[in-house]
Amino acid sequence: MDWTPFSHIVVNLARQIRPGEIAFSGVNSTLAMLACLLAKRAYDFHFTYLNVAGGVEPVPEKIPQSSSDPALVAGSPAIFGNEDFYDLCARGRLDLVFLGCAQVDGLGRTNVSVIGDWNNPKVRLPGGGGAAVMMPTARRVVTWRTEHSPRTLVEKLDFVTAAGNLQAVVTPIAVFQKRDGRLALESRNPQVALAEVTRRTGFRFDSSGARPTAPITARERAALASLDPSGEFEAAVRA
Amino acid sequence: MTLVAGLRAAAYGVPFQPVGGVHGSDLAALNGWQKIRDPYGSGKDVYVIPAISPDIAVIHANEVDEQGNARVLGSPFWDHPLTRAAKRVLVTAERLVSSESLAARPELTLVPGFLVEAAAVVPRGAWPGSMHPLYEVDYPAVESYLRDEPGALEAHLAAAPELQ
Repeated sequence: MDWTPFSHIVVNLARQIRPGEIAFSGVNSTLAMLACLLAKRAYDFHFTYLNVAGGVEPVPEKIPQSSSDPALVAGSPAIFGNEDFYDLCARGRLDLVFLGCAQVDGLGRTNVSVIGDWNNPKVRLPGGGGAAVMMPTARRVVTWRTEHSPRTLVEKLDFVTAAGNLQAVVTPIAVFQKRDGRLALESRNPQVALAEVTRRTGFRFDSSGARPTAPITARERAALASLDPSGEFEAAVRA
Repeated sequence: MTLVAGLRAAAYGVPFQPVGGVHGSDLAALNGWQKIRDPYGSGKDVYVIPAISPDIAVIHANEVDEQGNARVLGSPFWDHPLTRAAKRVLVTAERLVSSESLAARPELTLVPGFLVEAAAVVPRGAWPGSMHPLYEVDYPAVESYLRDEPGALEAHLAAAPELQ
């Protein structure tokens, strides 16, 4: 069965999580939230899921639209709120942090601040929400974009909001992993040719060893369907 | 998080607060944040954020008593450093309760009344935002006040669900 932009992002974000890790999803990060919940349902290994709502290993009764919804505290044995998880990250104990971005460059730095010049912006963005602190201090950071284009995956950022331990970028058509300090193509959606990935990527990248993204498994597919039974999250990415 | 470092500096009564990270970000030069070498010899450079003391902090609580003791259920987000850093604290709350009921579980009181200058009972005061566990985000209301058309904001303000 074919990948969709939605499934390629969520499943490949979930695949970044490793056994035993402490993983975190933040504000305005619905796809990362879904990835963490998918990993809980589709993979047998244990990891600890924390989120910006203060949830610790939540078991939400319904899947909220917002990744900061109090529904993400349901079932938590503790509230581990903003002060706690930022401090946990700063002292090096967050293994994997999902951080969104507007632009990412080939060095794995992100811009969540402004498009255009700071003093004369084309678009003023909402800001990093702690990204400048988390990206250098988290063990690994993973980002994603629903739009894979030369204006989102850029050679030069308009502004460097955060730099540091970004390890992977997931899009509807590609998965990049950092190798020797630069993002390299790890896999591509098999429905898309390498030439198209290259054409739609603003930064130059090494594609040696790149392979087609491994097919979605039955358990990943079932978990994704259980998280999005009405298809509203899928539709939001398509739009 | 750098904002919270500034609030913590004010709450701790010191002029600046060290913070993890920030290295490599353009935000440091933009905001004039300084980096200092660990005076205890680790060799690490640490960014320090100047104190931020808001003139007034306003927080919305689940319950308040007549002395201004305020209980917040669910995640407190930044209410704790914010109410300690601000020069004046105002509280709005979903309902008025007895001091005895707060005293029965003092660990749930987020702000003690002696820090609070004034409080108001404002049911649904977080609307169109959420108030755990009483109500969820009202997405249609958020979308309607964001509409770029004349009268959208006025209509939102006139809705006044706290008066209904």
